[in-house]
Amino acid sequence: MTSRIFRSVFFTSVLTLLASLVLVLGVLFGAFENQIEKELKSEAGYIAYTIENGDMDFFNRFSDSDKRVTLIDSNGEVIADTEADAGKMDNHSDREEVKEALKDGSGTKVRYSKTLTEKTVYYARKLSNGTVLRVSTTQYTIITIVLGLLQPLIFVLVIAMALSLFLSSRVSKRLVKPINSIDLDNPENCDTYDELSPLLHKIINQNRTIAGQIEKARQVQEEFRLITENMSEGFLVIDKSAKILSYNSAALKLLDAEKAEDNVLTLNRTSGFIDTVTTALDGRRAENAMLHGDRTYNLIANPVFNSGEVIGAVIVIIDVTETAKREAMRREFTANVSHELKTPLTSISGFAELMKAGGIPEETVVDFSTSIYTEAQRLITLVTDIIKISELDEKSDRHDWEKVNLYELSQDVIKRLKISAEKKNVSFTLNGGDAEVYGVRQILDEMVYNLCDNAIKYNREGGRVSVSVKDGDKEATLSVSDTGIGIPQTQQSRIFERFYRVDKSRSKAEGGTGLGLSIVKHGAIYHNAEISVESEIGKGTKMTISFKK
Amino acid sequence: MRKHYNEQLAQLNTELITMGALCEEAISGAAKYLIENDESLKEKIFEADSKIDQKERDIETLCMKLILQQQPVAKDLRVISSALKMISDMERIGDQASDIAEIVCFVNQSSIGSKVHIADMARATINMVTDSVESFVKNDIDLAYEVIKHDDVVDDLFIRVKNELISGVKEGANDAEALIDLLMIAKYFERIGDHAENIAEWVIYSMTGKHKTIKD
Repeated sequence: MTSRIFRSVFFTSVLTLLASLVLVLGVLFGAFENQIEKELKSEAGYIAYTIENGDMDFFNRFSDSDKRVTLIDSNGEVIADTEADAGKMDNHSDREEVKEALKDGSGTKVRYSKTLTEKTVYYARKLSNGTVLRVSTTQYTIITIVLGLLQPLIFVLVIAMALSLFLSSRVSKRLVKPINSIDLDNPENCDTYDELSPLLHKIINQNRTIAGQIEKARQVQEEFRLITENMSEGFLVIDKSAKILSYNSAALKLLDAEKAEDNVLTLNRTSGFIDTVTTALDGRRAENAMLHGDRTYNLIANPVFNSGEVIGAVIVIIDVTETAKREAMRREFTANVSHELKTPLTSISGFAELMKAGGIPEETVVDFSTSIYTEAQRLITLVTDIIKISELDEKSDRHDWEKVNLYELSQDVIKRLKISAEKKNVSFTLNGGDAEVYGVRQILDEMVYNLCDNAIKYNREGGRVSVSVKDGDKEATLSVSDTGIGIPQTQQSRIFERFYRVDKSRSKAEGGTGLGLSIVKHGAIYHNAEISVESEIGKGTKMTISFKK
Repeated sequence: MRKHYNEQLAQLNTELITMGALCEEAISGAAKYLIENDESLKEKIFEADSKIDQKERDIETLCMKLILQQQPVAKDLRVISSALKMISDMERIGDQASDIAEIVCFVNQSSIGSKVHIADMARATINMVTDSVESFVKNDIDLAYEVIKHDDVVDDLFIRVKNELISGVKEGANDAEALIDLLMIAKYFERIGDHAENIAEWVIYSMTGKHKTIKD
């Protein structure tokens, strides 16, 4: 900027200087020339007068070195001259001023020297005797004057240059200083000159736009962060050289990594993971199962395209351990159900086949029929139990919720179980008092029935079953304790599983389906209740259900 | 140009990790085959070995390209030259894993395998290979030193297994072939341990620029 200001200042001063020079010289020179011409004319007038009076000696006396006087006759021959020998001079008849004077009485002519540094002004006048008097004077031309002025001119120019250099640097500094000192964050508080205010306005507007955009970007980022951070699925974004661009904490947790930097393969390098990453970076969607310790993950990787080219990939890691477990349990259940259903059916089919063949004594037929009947009964119980458990599993809303008194319910159950208890010589006691819970009567009845039924089945001959119902501030509890065989500590966690039996042979003999406690557990879950087991081998078992109020 | 260079370096890193992972797969497969006698692993080991060979070629080409086209200096050059050395160690690990897989089927018919400490040796070797790859992947210099130290454990186990086999021969065990095969397997494991140690040494070199000769 300084140099541009300098150039314009300097250019202006040079231009001014030159213009004034030309103007001054032009005006002065014109006036000067007029003056000379006038002078020559009057001089010529005096000399003509002298010569016409016959004073030819004038030429010898003439001492004005500035001027030269020549007398020429009408043929052009030089008669006398103040500076040169007249005889040696050429004929002057071809000179224009002489020609003019001979013709019109007077003539003027200016002639320049060869170098143009000097010029001679001639004035010729025809005298009364027919001769021509010529007066001339030599002076410097305008070029000579300019050349003479050159030295001071250069001196002035140098001064002008120095001055403009100084001025321009000062001006540019003063121009730039306020601009540099603008506080870009608060431009409105700046002390500047008026010409800068459009710039300041622009900055203010731009600041607003930028702030708006930053806020928007931050919001988007925050949204993205919140979404990904609250995902239980691991989330990784990688570029095409497998470098991690973004990740969420779930990804680190799932892959047991402390930090995610650099290559994604540093997090995990099992073949499943590597395959998924490379497939995605090849531009194809990949889905793989991956084992990590005792967990099962599902990896889904999608390539990210930009104008037809893969620029990276997004990897989602889903922990499917629970799903896989549930899947395995479901498969096990199906297998169990099929097996449990098949066993009675096989015996029914076997007995029926024998009877179909005929030739069987009457009493054997009765025996067979009894067996078929028992097995069919078993099947019915089993199917009923399975239906119950499926219903509980689905948490269907078809049940009617009502207030149920657990005490009355227990009384009712004990009444129904009286016969089977008597068969085994087991005595029932019921203590406690009224306790109302909000629930489904049918399911609660089923739960209590199953608990009491088990207490009888797995009791010793002549044992006791005591049911106690208690009502508290926070919860109502129902506990069934027996004096039976008890459950080993190691198997207590498994007794609620479907078809799980502690002692398979015994349970078959008692006619259980293996679903009783499972129904109790599902019923408890349905009612948001908790079950606890206390048991000691050979002494008995106590099952307690606590209903929250 | 520079961007391309960085991409190539990143690719080299990825390829090396992949190759390391394949080595781990091969060696753990071989060990599992030996200990659990799972015949289905055999094919997997051979497959991993051929993949390892292929990776070696790929990485070699990539390193050559990098050196020729990019003229790397300082750490990059060290990383690339270490990579060139590392892949030959990894390739040997792959080969020896498949060698083990070839012999294992003869040993498994004999019950003598369970009497010697070959399983311990296999586990120790797997740990070494895993840790050496891990030290490369995570740029973990301490882990690399651990691997170098751990080689002594494998060497000791080799001597132990050898002695057990010698006493087996002295007692006149009737399956002499299995004893010899086991000795070879033990030797393979010992060699794999050495290769893992080499890898760890190259990891140290690529990071520090100094060759580590184990003193402490």
